[in-house]
Amino acid sequence: MMTATAPRRATVTTPTDREIRIERIFDAPRSKVWKAMTDPTLVAQWWGRGNKLVIEKFEPVRGGHWRFVEHAEGQQHGFEGRFREVTPEERVVQTFEWDGMPGHTVLETLTLEDLGDGRTRLMTTSLFFTAEERDGMLQSGMEGGVNQSYAALDRLLESMK
Amino acid sequence: MVQYSSTLDDAFAAVADPTRRGIIERLGSAGPASITELADSFDMTLTGMKKHVQILEDAGLVESEKIGRVRTCRLGSRRLAKEAAWIARYEKMLNDRFDRLEEFLGRTTGD
Repeated sequence: MMTATAPRRATVTTPTDREIRIERIFDAPRSKVWKAMTDPTLVAQWWGRGNKLVIEKFEPVRGGHWRFVEHAEGQQHGFEGRFREVTPEERVVQTFEWDGMPGHTVLETLTLEDLGDGRTRLMTTSLFFTAEERDGMLQSGMEGGVNQSYAALDRLLESMK
Repeated sequence: MVQYSSTLDDAFAAVADPTRRGIIERLGSAGPASITELADSFDMTLTGMKKHVQILEDAGLVESEKIGRVRTCRLGSRRLAKEAAWIARYEKMLNDRFDRLEEFLGRTTGD
């Protein structure tokens, strides 16, 4: 059992007024930390914080989807997001949403640093957005996407003349 | 949209202090608590805890009510309080998760 008195080598800072940064140093080599973060059978053993974890989807590649459901005290908590960047043993950028706060997307950037003495520093920077901002981004993204599609269609139609 | 954005910024400003983040997380996940209970769980003096609670009350994040000699605090009903509770809860979740990862990595030493 973890106890409240367990030594916690963690620092938490708020680098900007929208970000939380958590740094942890693990007494394990970087390759091992990376494996624990990206091998689903290993992820299932720690991600749920001691609760049963069902990994419904886990595709740690760019554009991949992840969805985990934590079972705690008769309740289910679903979490999900998309991978934006996966650079082996170095960096993962992903979105994070909890079903209980729909639309409150967090953009997480996780970086691993080999400290050279068998230890690894994990730095997680979490950037928060409101639901409205997220929707705004999606909307502007879609508008851009739609315009690009129309431009491509225009070109295609032009070439068919 | 501007109005909502400032809500999140305000929530962040209010939870900039780690103890206050802890108080909000505690009230958000475990429900109402007295000042004495909060002081105990954060290993603080009553005076110190009262100051933190006052700041949170001024920001509208926490509401309190005195019945007899006991002042009970609960999470505020404003939208900002829910935003702040989410940020605090998220941070706790991340730290709990990394505690487990640390334990897991320690357990598998020599693999």
